[in-house]
Amino acid sequence: MNKKKTSLWERYLTKEIGIEFKACLYFFAILFIYCVYKLTQGSFTADILHMAEMILLCYIICYVQVYLLGNFDESESFGAKEAGGIFICTAVYTGFSLLFDWFERSVAWTAGFAAYIILVYICIFLIYKVKRRIDDKVLNEELEMFQSRPGKEEDTEAEP
Amino acid sequence: MKITIKQTDGAEAQVVVTYGELTPEVEKVIDFLKGHSTTLTGKCDDETVRFNARDILYIETVDDRTFAYTESKIIKLSHSLAALTELLDDISFIRCSKSMILNIDKIERLKSLPSNRIDATMKGGEHILISRTYASELRNRLKKGGVGRE
Repeated sequence: MNKKKTSLWERYLTKEIGIEFKACLYFFAILFIYCVYKLTQGSFTADILHMAEMILLCYIICYVQVYLLGNFDESESFGAKEAGGIFICTAVYTGFSLLFDWFERSVAWTAGFAAYIILVYICIFLIYKVKRRIDDKVLNEELEMFQSRPGKEEDTEAEP
Repeated sequence: MKITIKQTDGAEAQVVVTYGELTPEVEKVIDFLKGHSTTLTGKCDDETVRFNARDILYIETVDDRTFAYTESKIIKLSHSLAALTELLDDISFIRCSKSMILNIDKIERLKSLPSNRIDATMKGGEHILISRTYASELRNRLKKGGVGRE
């Protein structure tokens, strides 16, 4: 058996990388709708300060998602807990979009942004679900190969 | 014991054990060739039982007591989990949590769970949760397909 244990630092780092990856995922989703908004307003420039606010907010919300909201976007099934998580996070993103003036307080765009965030959460939930389903298939194929390895007891023939 | 080693070009590697009487020495050789035939002794219903490690589904420590679970029995072992980890230093046994060792050959199905954890359905129908820390070791072991270990 492998005696190499994962250290506390390595475990923390694995979780931290996972959160940062998630934060980047949500940041790019928000950046996309922000860029679409800017383009519709006839602007080809994005505010660096807005982008900094977005990434920082995504990072904080992803921390909350993982440590306080049970990592709901990676859940096995969709229930009240997951719907609650999506509602809370969408409300926070929408609130901060108003506070930081990302969509110049446009009611229509802010409402659209909230709907878009809900859609992003549902898509990410489905993506993780599909990923796990593929992983299941790979794992069970490898398990089958492992169990039929040469030299296993079942390969031994005993003659009377 | 007479040992004959024969090399034939293109032949499939094969070991044939011929014996008149199954002596402990022959038994040991067969056990070695079979790969994982460590025999353990434990207590089941106040009776001392000897059983083969390959029959174990999993081993669990509960309140400093170690139990081996087979498809039909729960056997109390006198060994600690650390000692069993050494003893069952075998390709098909893997640590799946701080208090549990799992026999990969007795897994019926695996299910990938959120946060990189794995749910193993054993041949007896029980579900064992493999934590993220140990799941990566299981994945590595399966990837190698039982050929050698780190």
